[in-house]
Amino acid sequence: MNDDKLTLYYYKDGLTQGERLEVTNALVADAELAARYKTLSNELSQFEGAEIEAIPRDMMLRFHDTIDRAANMERGAAPQKSPPVHFWSFFWGAAITATLALGIGIGVWFSGDVDQAAGEPLIVDITPQSDVVPVVFQRSMQNYLRESQREITELPMDAEADRLILILRLIDQNRLFEKAAVQNNSPKLARVLRAFEPILVQLASDDIAPEDAEALRAQLAFELNVMLTKLTRDTSDGRQTNTERT
Amino acid sequence: MQGGREPTQAEFHDAITSRADRWFSACLKITRNRAMAEDAVQEALLSAWAKRSQFHHDSRLDTWIHRIAVNAALQLIRKNRPASFEPLDFEIADDTDSQEDTHHAGDLERDLAKALTHLSDIERVCFVLKHLEQWRLKEIAEELDSNVGTVKQALFRGVRKLRKRMTTLQGV
Repeated sequence: MNDDKLTLYYYKDGLTQGERLEVTNALVADAELAARYKTLSNELSQFEGAEIEAIPRDMMLRFHDTIDRAANMERGAAPQKSPPVHFWSFFWGAAITATLALGIGIGVWFSGDVDQAAGEPLIVDITPQSDVVPVVFQRSMQNYLRESQREITELPMDAEADRLILILRLIDQNRLFEKAAVQNNSPKLARVLRAFEPILVQLASDDIAPEDAEALRAQLAFELNVMLTKLTRDTSDGRQTNTERT
Repeated sequence: MQGGREPTQAEFHDAITSRADRWFSACLKITRNRAMAEDAVQEALLSAWAKRSQFHHDSRLDTWIHRIAVNAALQLIRKNRPASFEPLDFEIADDTDSQEDTHHAGDLERDLAKALTHLSDIERVCFVLKHLEQWRLKEIAEELDSNVGTVKQALFRGVRKLRKRMTTLQGV
């Protein structure tokens, strides 16, 4: 009998009941075999107390941190409890107003003649602009608008938590580009971007009716496309240095 | 831990404090790479946290995470060293000590970690899972997408090499 069979006998695995019985009987009958098995058992048992490596403190902290981060992320992703209905009734009205204002603002901005479009400015304030708009900023803005348009089009409307995370990220990015627009002599563009936020917030709501959400999403995608078209046209016309000038 | 509820964040922290070194050691024996072993434990923790509602309260949380960590370690080896678990060549590898090994044998520590370095990935994994983790041969075969016969052969080869190594070390 070879040691492989004795190894399986030692592990109590991999032998049929009949094979185990055969080995047991052989061990009883054969002193030499029994001695070999004892040696095998002793040698294998040396590995039983395999040392446990104490891990460094920083690694231990990283493991704890992993759980904390996972728990925090989960809390952040959890959909908010629906606020009272009256709040959302108010907010819905505000969102519609903002949407209208945004549409008018973009229309005026797109017309390229803000100063003379109306007797008083709508959401597009008339601010003196004399500096040039860097082409790098315009390219970044185009990419941002293109990416936002895609994300809004693909927004998971049937998964509230995922939708909330994506919209919060869009809002964060929107704020960054709004600031960038101000810093790059594009205050009108900044205002248009600012007008997106209440609509995004409304879109993140967990009690919005599917048809309303779809309408808002379509409108946002459309407005983003309008802005993107204008920026692209200005850039290709070589007017990137004075986009906001009318 | 009470039955019927998922383990809490605090219970995860308790398990980490008391057992993370064991999880890491098991993963290190499987991967023989500290970074991979740490990654395996990290992945196991994230996976266990995400699936904590599936935890059965008739078992222990630390044991459950241990098993997930071992699985993660195996996945990492397969991902990083895909050839490790290809069908075995049943030729017994030359496990004769090299001249360098013999020359430095006296310097080697007589511990399992050192002895395990002389096994191939498949031999080491089969030995660790069978001997230290006490998996059934069938479970090992399933985990490695192999069969029990192949696992037995790898285990036999591993045991032979380890015994030879220990005899050599004890004889020096």
